[in-house]
Amino acid sequence: MGCGVTKSTQLQLKPCNRGNISVPAATAMRAALLIQRWYRQYVAQLEMRRRCTWNIFQSIEYSGQQDHIKLYNFFGYLMDHFSSANSQRNLVSHMFGESDVFQDMEWERHVCYKEIEVLDIYTGPHLSFPLTISNVTELVHAFKNKQKLHARYVLQLLGKTWTLLRLMPNISHVCTCKHKEITICGDLHGHLEDLLLIFYKNGFPSAETPYVFNGDFVDRGKESIEILLVLFAFLLLYPHDVHLNRGNHEDHIVNLRYGFTKEVLGKYQVHGKMILKLLQKIFSWLPLATVIDQKVLILHGGISDKTDLNVIAKLDRHRFASALRPLKSSGASARLKEAALDPDGDDELSTGRRRVQSLTHGTPLRLRQELPRHSVHSESSRTSRSVEEELRERRRLAGLSLSSDSDPAEVLETDTNEWKQIVDVLWSDPMSQNGCVPNEVRGGGCYWGPDVTHKVLDTHKLQLLIRSHECKQEGYEFCHNGRVLTIFSASNYYDVGSNRGAYIRLGPDLIPHFKQFQSSRSTRELTLRQSVGRTELSALQALRMQLFAHKSDLIHEFQEYDPQCTGVISVKHWAAAVEKALRLALPWRVLRSQLVTDSAQDGTLNYQHWVNQLSVMQPNTEITNTSLLETLYKHHSNLESIFRMIDTDHSGLISFKEFRQTWKLLSSHLQMDISDKAISDLAESIDFNKDGSIDINEFMEAFRLVEHSRAETDAPASPE
Amino acid sequence: MAPKKVEPKKPEPKKPEPKKEEAPAPAPVPETPKEPELDLKSVPLEFTADQIEEFRDAFTLFDETPTGEMKIRYAQCGDVMRALGHNPTNADVLTVLGKPKAEDMNTKYLDFETFLPMLQHVSRTKDQGTFEDFVEGLRVFDKEGNGTVMGAELRHVLATLGEKMTEDEVDRLMAGQEDANGCINYTSFIKHILSG
Repeated sequence: MGCGVTKSTQLQLKPCNRGNISVPAATAMRAALLIQRWYRQYVAQLEMRRRCTWNIFQSIEYSGQQDHIKLYNFFGYLMDHFSSANSQRNLVSHMFGESDVFQDMEWERHVCYKEIEVLDIYTGPHLSFPLTISNVTELVHAFKNKQKLHARYVLQLLGKTWTLLRLMPNISHVCTCKHKEITICGDLHGHLEDLLLIFYKNGFPSAETPYVFNGDFVDRGKESIEILLVLFAFLLLYPHDVHLNRGNHEDHIVNLRYGFTKEVLGKYQVHGKMILKLLQKIFSWLPLATVIDQKVLILHGGISDKTDLNVIAKLDRHRFASALRPLKSSGASARLKEAALDPDGDDELSTGRRRVQSLTHGTPLRLRQELPRHSVHSESSRTSRSVEEELRERRRLAGLSLSSDSDPAEVLETDTNEWKQIVDVLWSDPMSQNGCVPNEVRGGGCYWGPDVTHKVLDTHKLQLLIRSHECKQEGYEFCHNGRVLTIFSASNYYDVGSNRGAYIRLGPDLIPHFKQFQSSRSTRELTLRQSVGRTELSALQALRMQLFAHKSDLIHEFQEYDPQCTGVISVKHWAAAVEKALRLALPWRVLRSQLVTDSAQDGTLNYQHWVNQLSVMQPNTEITNTSLLETLYKHHSNLESIFRMIDTDHSGLISFKEFRQTWKLLSSHLQMDISDKAISDLAESIDFNKDGSIDINEFMEAFRLVEHSRAETDAPASPE
Repeated sequence: MAPKKVEPKKPEPKKPEPKKEEAPAPAPVPETPKEPELDLKSVPLEFTADQIEEFRDAFTLFDETPTGEMKIRYAQCGDVMRALGHNPTNADVLTVLGKPKAEDMNTKYLDFETFLPMLQHVSRTKDQGTFEDFVEGLRVFDKEGNGTVMGAELRHVLATLGEKMTEDEVDRLMAGQEDANGCINYTSFIKHILSG
């Protein structure tokens, strides 16, 4: 672009080589300066909005994960406190029992894909095994054209994948063999378009183009099953050149909440259940890490100060189906034993179950003041049953007979340690301070500091740790003095325009080279301002939903600033009150102009009116108890997860009884006071077709918010 | 959106300020710029407490230190000021930072307390430039007087004159604005940019 001019701002009298600037140089100069100045201001303002939007999404995501912790604590609570009443015990064992999970060797007998007929009307791709490259290319093209793979082929493909994965070690060792470049991709989260973009820019996987995919293939995005099928197909085709690491979302309990289960059941209504069962197995058999040239470690989440690759290499990874479900057998009774022996009588049982502890030092989120820590410490008190009774109940719950031959204490020790190794690998996040503390935001794994990185990497003679798990605006980010690299491959993760995705090319010199991208045709056509605006709109909508969910808290805080009950407060106090009520570290004063549109001239605001303006629920909700409704809305994500867990046959329906029991347990765990009558009324009002059972999807529909001003517009989905 | 504090004054022709490349004597506390012509300490803060809180919020958004120390790099100073509605030139920003060396821009940091008087100073600069000036600036290149400018010419000018823009900046500015003949209708261009 430049004509090789010097740095000074002296007058230029050179004729422009793109046609003459017939303008006097001084005028041109002045004009240029003006335009440049305006442009820079415009960009700076956009940048501020972009950062604001990013902060909103991240805060909401963290707070959503805190929500998830509540769910997890609830499961823990259930384990501790189900009453001896038959009904409740059945519910809990129903939830935790592993019904009809077949043995590994018998999958072909159970998954009788051969009997699934492929009818002539099916226009999708046909697969034959062993797979050929043309099969796989055809598959990719089919998905690009939004076609669905027939359930028969899905099951066949999954079955073969499972067989293959069982042969793989926990940690794959890969070599660049002095000439190859390996491509490493991060989280994909159901964004098929991003995967296809990567393949387009970088080439399909092959012997010359080996790939490592670093977990979190599913959930959130809408094409998770397609991504899995493509990745597995390439894995079958090139088992030595395609490496899949397990992510924390390769976990059926997480899938209940974040959309994968729903996606599969929606796309495969007849065979979805079987597909999910098979996937459950496959996920547990995914390898945990990949090491390149014995120098670069790649795993999904991270490490802890206890991470020991030798232990990880040797454990039976498939026993740990879910990081969130308490371990069966020796785990349960052993933990109990430990608890009984615990002299302090603390509520916290062994770290194996990752009960959250409140911390005293700061979170990675930057808080202006020390906001009250969102304590998810369980406040349930111990019941006074004897240890023997508890043991008996636990065993019955876990569905086993008496303990095995091996020394229970020893088994406990190994189990817990192995479990922790895996959870740390899948769930941890880096932090800037030294040390290693439990990750209370995620509810699993830890936050580890640069000193831990150096220690673990040096002990294992490694030079770099590549991980994913966290969304980064540019698709990648270094930390810990360049020894930890986060790579994230789902662009537009929060919404269109929110972030780029990236992947890494790593050659024998082991220096990472990055390629960034951003999918979505529509983004490319939008200008910077438009795409920032769109994402911003979506972030603000999500924020309004959060505000709505905290209506009572907000009113309470506002009233603190309005002792005379005048109904108005200053906008200054608005910001302080909202910050306290929501406990999200956001630039509220910067956001104020977007969220408060009807303040008076003198800078005051009628807060009740403002709160009412936020959003309302769908008009067809028959639930009239508004405070109950608000509570339900606040916990609806967790409720959905619980319901889907109860609905073990994936019929989409749960019975009244189950609904009432669940709700009762949840409300007592949350220490809410809800009468039986209120729950019954609620259940009846949700049973829209009056047949004694509740349709989960219908129920969740009731919680979509609509804008107060717009009647029948579709509300954008929350960034789940 | 950040309020635009634009003072409707006529722009003065830009004086090319002779830039002395020598940096101020290295101070043990590098944050306070030592510049004899500009004494920031004597700048009284006229912002209200509420405004300061808002500025603090914005400042936090640009804080990229891993532990949230409420510091920004020198290189970000101009952006934060612009984000808050002011319109300094790069030269103005450098002045207020105490004419730092090029390599300092990304290595030295500025905390909020130091930033405030700089912001105050910049907010008083008479030569703020208005929307009309911006239009005038573009009109200069409308050779045929028909409301369009040549995209290529504009690119060239912006990248070679004044406070030069990088190729990337220019591309972003012009994204989607040129028609098939490479012309830009600058009225709609301006509207598009300023209607954010």
